[in-house]
Amino acid sequence: PAHFQEEIANGGTHFDHTPVRNECKTMLDALNKVTACYRHLVIALGSTSDSQNLREELKRTRKKAQELAVANRTKLTSLLKDKSISKEDRAEYERLWVLFSSSMELLEVDMKRSLEIGQDFPLKVPTRHLIQTGMTGSTTTVAARAMSVQNMKYEADSNIDTADLRDLQSEISQVTQMMEEMEMKVQVAPWAVEAKQEAGAELKSNMSVGNSSVGVISICEEEPKEEEGGGGNRDAGFASICAVLVFLVIITVAVVLGYLVINMS
Amino acid sequence: MTIRNTLRDHGQRYRPRMACLKKAEKLMLEMQDPKTGVKSQPQRLVITTIPHAITGEDIIAWLADRFQVDAQEARSFGSTLVALGYIYPLRDHKRLVIKPDASLYRFQTPYFWPTQQWPVEDTDYAIYLAKRNIRKKGILELHEQEQYNRLHKWMNHKWDFIVMQAKEQYRAAKERKKPDRVVFECQERAYWVVHRPPPGTVSAMDYGLDRRIDPNTEEVKTPDYYERIMIFTQQSIMRPRVKSSVSIGALVKYCATYRSHDPFLSNCLPSNPWLTDDVTYWTLNMPNVEIPTKMRVERWTFSFGELLSDPRGRNDFRLFLKKEFSGENLAFWESCEDLKWGTAATMREKAEQIYKTFLARGAPRWINIDGKTMEVTVKGLKHPHRYVLDAAQTHIYMLMKKDSYGRYMKSPVFKDTLQKAMSPEEHKFSDSQLEQNAKKRRPSLSPIVLRQQEQEQKAKMAANVDITQLCRFTTPVPHLAVYSGISDFPSANASPSLPFLAQTPVCPSPISVALDSTSASDRRVEASEGEGEGNPAAPATVGGNASKSRVALSLRRLLRRGCTPTTMFASLSPKCHSAAGTSSRIQPISPDQPSQAPPRRIANFFQIKVDIPPECRIYPIESEDEDEETRAASRGGVGAKEIICPWESLSPQNGTG
Repeated sequence: PAHFQEEIANGGTHFDHTPVRNECKTMLDALNKVTACYRHLVIALGSTSDSQNLREELKRTRKKAQELAVANRTKLTSLLKDKSISKEDRAEYERLWVLFSSSMELLEVDMKRSLEIGQDFPLKVPTRHLIQTGMTGSTTTVAARAMSVQNMKYEADSNIDTADLRDLQSEISQVTQMMEEMEMKVQVAPWAVEAKQEAGAELKSNMSVGNSSVGVISICEEEPKEEEGGGGNRDAGFASICAVLVFLVIITVAVVLGYLVINMS
Repeated sequence: MTIRNTLRDHGQRYRPRMACLKKAEKLMLEMQDPKTGVKSQPQRLVITTIPHAITGEDIIAWLADRFQVDAQEARSFGSTLVALGYIYPLRDHKRLVIKPDASLYRFQTPYFWPTQQWPVEDTDYAIYLAKRNIRKKGILELHEQEQYNRLHKWMNHKWDFIVMQAKEQYRAAKERKKPDRVVFECQERAYWVVHRPPPGTVSAMDYGLDRRIDPNTEEVKTPDYYERIMIFTQQSIMRPRVKSSVSIGALVKYCATYRSHDPFLSNCLPSNPWLTDDVTYWTLNMPNVEIPTKMRVERWTFSFGELLSDPRGRNDFRLFLKKEFSGENLAFWESCEDLKWGTAATMREKAEQIYKTFLARGAPRWINIDGKTMEVTVKGLKHPHRYVLDAAQTHIYMLMKKDSYGRYMKSPVFKDTLQKAMSPEEHKFSDSQLEQNAKKRRPSLSPIVLRQQEQEQKAKMAANVDITQLCRFTTPVPHLAVYSGISDFPSANASPSLPFLAQTPVCPSPISVALDSTSASDRRVEASEGEGEGNPAAPATVGGNASKSRVALSLRRLLRRGCTPTTMFASLSPKCHSAAGTSSRIQPISPDQPSQAPPRRIANFFQIKVDIPPECRIYPIESEDEDEETRAASRGGVGAKEIICPWESLSPQNGTG
């Protein structure tokens, strides 16, 4: 009886949405990751780190992004069309929908730009020089991260830079069409969605990540001392002092334990 | 309702055309040539070496050689390339200029090049700021913090996405090797310095409003398009042509006159706010400043239009006209402008007010326009629209221009202003002072606040205006507050009536009319028309003197006219005055009408009984107007003592006029 009333109170939803929500989140995270990596790859286009490999990486990342996009879209559309979902769940799905559509917007713009830049910078034409941006390394690791593989294998043929462009054009039109359909079919008000993260949320759970890039901070701040380079260096100093102290404490503990062990035996 | 996201709303979001971008891109490609391009060198940092750094002097030398120009021009050209964002400095990244020494620059990657068709998105900026926040562990620069908070407020619904994407992009960037990482961070930072310039940075990509139409789209050749071309060509053929000597002469004259006033072509005193971030120039040239600058006063001498369009000039002119007792002209012109530019809802009332104040017979501030124009205007006022008073306004404008403006230029008011006008000293700022100024930059007063102030001032002015211009036809209408001051009985107290006293009564007192013959009144009318535009001498002594007692005035009138006391006193009462005025207005065309009818009519209209002889024609205006007004008044039955607009009538009106 109590259980029955609870059911009625829930408006008829008789299953917990948490696993579904988590699944959606995972898929969105994957799409997000691929979008970020795709953007990094497109930024390298046309520069001296451009190469055959980069073009192939772009192509494969793009395809992966599209697969993920379609999967996400199907899932979320079916969920949002379902009228029997509770209010909180629906609000959550709308939030996920906003995440999804923002990702797709970024992806679409990046695809269009990669088409433009790809057309402007063909690789095989000797009179057409790549821009000397100072970036010379390869982007293999970024692509590997996007594809979630350890190492990338390259098997494309040599005219990928021109051949791929046609595919790219058709994919762009597909994506545009998909987005228009999305707008038509799903009635979600983006501004009504409330974000869960507050300002500065990116700082949390990233402190460890930030510390490891200490070296990069001091290099890139090629500026006079009154700039933020000073602040960064100061923080770096504190971090290293703390690390040293912790190390010393551990060493002391180890020495003490060792002494005890020796004494005991 | 579907929500259109901003990328697709087709509103105003196209960057105005920047034709220089394509040209700059071509140039960039030329610079990359290993043989003929700019020489690059490696940049040595603490741990790594990064290739492809170029020095400022190399860039300038290459540009000078490529375009065959001198070093100064090549330097400005180079600075433009930096300001556009195609090349970025490695040191001092906030100053987008080329230094002609060994300071290092680098080329920007094509993704971060400025483009015509890809708008710079706030979402991307938010992601960049979040990434920077991660890297700096929360310590952002002041302007970055402001932007961050602003974006967090306005893009709140996307904030989850922004945080997620920022983290992912940050992690993806770490996958690259260290030198590439460094380069990427510099590139991104340079991109945002160009497109979201920090205070004190001048970026060439800073522009005003977006356009509604994409300047890059090809126009589709529909039949409509061709029809527009045809219409345009036909109109061009019919256009009246001016001799080129005439038009060129006019251009030359304009340039010569305005050259020293143009802040682009000549020095702007004390300093150009856009260059030095110092707003003294604007505060000195506020619309209603007490002491104008010499340059501003000089502009007033160029043309009458300049004088009127400058609020300070207009005030000066108004003061002058007040002294000359022809202020109604300017007031009329201003209220016509108000009508033209006002909201449609208020147009009808405004037109009525203007008619009652300026155009009607017996109006408190009657303006002197010729009969034809008056007829056309009154006719048009039956169906008032925005431009109904255009003819009258033009007439008054030309009157002021040809007559008052010339006298104004020679008047003591203007000479006084000219003498008091100040000429500010030129500023000489050092570099550090310029930076200080840039930091102190703050937005000015909101336009809403400014508009409120403007309106308060207008209301104050309207309340302060007293009727100093009365013509011989003015009827004192006590209740009329607009444009007539709150004082109860302005006309009776108005001093300029004094000069008229010698010859004409202020209000066409029926007593004097009755005393004189009609021919004498005609003569009087003509004489007063002759001195219509005010004589400076007499009004000067009594200018703006609205507080004379009614009694004193009427006593004087009494003494001068030697009229019979009873009728005189009758005319003293307010009601009588209006009655007197209107009775003359109501004068029937045929003077041989029975004297019974008019008084009764007057009585019905004004609800008073006054014994006033009806037969006098004061107004030398067409009889039809009188006729229709008569009928209107008689049938009107509208509230007492009101000047009736000819189109206002409660009873079914005849169709005349």
